[in-house]
Amino acid sequence: MEIKKIVDVRKLTKTYKGRLEPAVNNLSLEVYEGDIYGIIGPNGAGKTTIISILCGLLNPTSGNIFINEHNINDSLIEIKRIIGVVSQDIALYDKLTAYENLYYFGRLYSIDKNILKEKISYFLNRLGLEKFKDDKIRSFSGGMKRRINLLAGLLHGPKLLFLDEPTTGVDVQSRNVIREFLVELNNSGTTMIYTSHMMDDVEKLCSRISIIDCGQIIITGVPCDLIAQHHDCNTLEDLFLKLTGRNLRD
Amino acid sequence: MKKLQASIYKETLLLLRDIEGVILIFIMPLSLVIVMALLQHRTFQILDETKIPVVVVDYDNDSLGISLCNGIKQSNVFETTIIDNPDSLSLSQMKSDVAKGKYQVGIMIPEKATFAIKKRSIAMVQQQLPDNFSSNPSIDASKQVSIQLFFDPITKESFRVLAQSIFNEFASRTETRITFQTYSKVIDAITNQDTELNFPSEPALKFEEAFVSEYTAGILPNAVQHNVPAWTLFGMFLICIPIAGNIIKERNEGCMARLKTIPVSYLGIMSGKSFVFIIICLLQAALIILSGVFLMPLTGLPALQLGNNWFALAIITITSAFAASGFGVVIGTIATSQIQASTFGSVATVILAAIGGVWIPVIAMPEVMRTISSFSPMNWGIQGYYDVFLRNSGFSIILPNALKLFAFYAFCTAISLYFRKYRANR
Repeated sequence: MEIKKIVDVRKLTKTYKGRLEPAVNNLSLEVYEGDIYGIIGPNGAGKTTIISILCGLLNPTSGNIFINEHNINDSLIEIKRIIGVVSQDIALYDKLTAYENLYYFGRLYSIDKNILKEKISYFLNRLGLEKFKDDKIRSFSGGMKRRINLLAGLLHGPKLLFLDEPTTGVDVQSRNVIREFLVELNNSGTTMIYTSHMMDDVEKLCSRISIIDCGQIIITGVPCDLIAQHHDCNTLEDLFLKLTGRNLRD
Repeated sequence: MKKLQASIYKETLLLLRDIEGVILIFIMPLSLVIVMALLQHRTFQILDETKIPVVVVDYDNDSLGISLCNGIKQSNVFETTIIDNPDSLSLSQMKSDVAKGKYQVGIMIPEKATFAIKKRSIAMVQQQLPDNFSSNPSIDASKQVSIQLFFDPITKESFRVLAQSIFNEFASRTETRITFQTYSKVIDAITNQDTELNFPSEPALKFEEAFVSEYTAGILPNAVQHNVPAWTLFGMFLICIPIAGNIIKERNEGCMARLKTIPVSYLGIMSGKSFVFIIICLLQAALIILSGVFLMPLTGLPALQLGNNWFALAIITITSAFAASGFGVVIGTIATSQIQASTFGSVATVILAAIGGVWIPVIAMPEVMRTISSFSPMNWGIQGYYDVFLRNSGFSIILPNALKLFAFYAFCTAISLYFRKYRANR
């Protein structure tokens, strides 16, 4: 059986106004259903720009994007119904409780009240946050906020989940819980596009990866295959440094 | 609808969790209204109760001087000091006193002023008589007498014009009396009679004032009738700062980006926000208006008279609240930081208030400012409130201003949507 393409990006270019160099330059990529597709690259490589364009936050300068066979230019509302986005910012209202935040975002997806309550309860319990559901977000630790931030993006059961550095600034325990949870979600059929600077996470989680730099893909493939193709590299981090260089990018 | 309900619920929770901010939203405009009404009311009261000091140096010491001085004394406007037997230094002393502010106005009636008017009257009479009655045909009837007025340099133009007008009225009356007396004496001489002249103390013409409104409650524009609606609108528009702050905070914290990835329109999100702030504006307006009715009389101010057209009052208040919330949304959408939004929001509100007639009624503005004023939403609101409170106008009269206010809300919303799209193309 042929695996369906859920994301099809063709010759995507994005040049910000006032800039000469494109942030994303003639980039093409394909993501298949069931993938956890990792996009890794140094700072300023264009990862967040790609994710922002794919989820409709930014308009591309040129190129075509199809998500679940919908053209992003024509069917953005349709696409928004099947995607979930977990940004690198903690996109939550700090004066609201965990439950209120999740309830609000869930209701915006038109989820039935009773189903939503059950879902919130299940997910909070799954990520060890049930007893904090009535606490305001501002009282949460970084790891707790990250977990709620993750839940806010997947309450509606998205077919495709964008994860932009979802484990930034969290402790090892929280990271482990998040990683396990993402694997569980993937096993239940959620496709993911994942960006991170945590090479360890990417290596463990992603079924396929693209290393990008200067808005272009340098290499694409299954992580262990890519490492094996480069005899002087033992880990994804070795490969990453070999392909993108050791110079600082900030 | 579910999404709108969710947005309204979320905005309400956020607002209620910032209870200090909510209290400020209500207390600040209320304090402003009371302070401004008290200040303006007291200023007008002082003008009514305190008489303006005037000094008269009467070199004439005859009919004109005496009549003029009596007229000024009898008026309730001036506190008059008369120097009856002045010497050559009296004039310079008077000028010096006025310059120092001891008196606001100095009046110098020149020597033989009465005599000059009489001569002029005689000349005018003689022009009417045959030559055999004319004893001295060479008297010049066009010669004028100059009464000099000196004003304290700080005297306002409006007051100067008022004082001049009052003095002019007294002088004209006195001149008429002298002329009439002269005519009478000449006629007596011709007819060999000795008539006792009864010159009426009151002029033949008098003015009766009435406000041309069908509204018979006798409401006059006063500090409360002006300040309550004016500062209510100012308070409403000042809400642009918390609205803009709310939007910018949402954007900076990434919530707005998350909302943009959800199948809900920006208009839907902003409608939820606007709805809550419109309710706040309405509560704020209700509080200020009720304070005008019940609280202000306790401070010695006249009570606010609301008129009888509750529907028109509700419509003008609701559309003003829409306009204010639209203004906040557009500032929040365009501004890139909290400082930018609060600076622009407060200054823009003050400017709109100034040109809209919150501080100075539009009628007192120069022509060019009156034209500019007609573009301020606060002016549309104030005119609407004036129509309801002072003219007891109904819905059809306030409708044009209400429509303008709603159009302003629609315009602000359209600008916000445009900017939202513009940002995605950056």
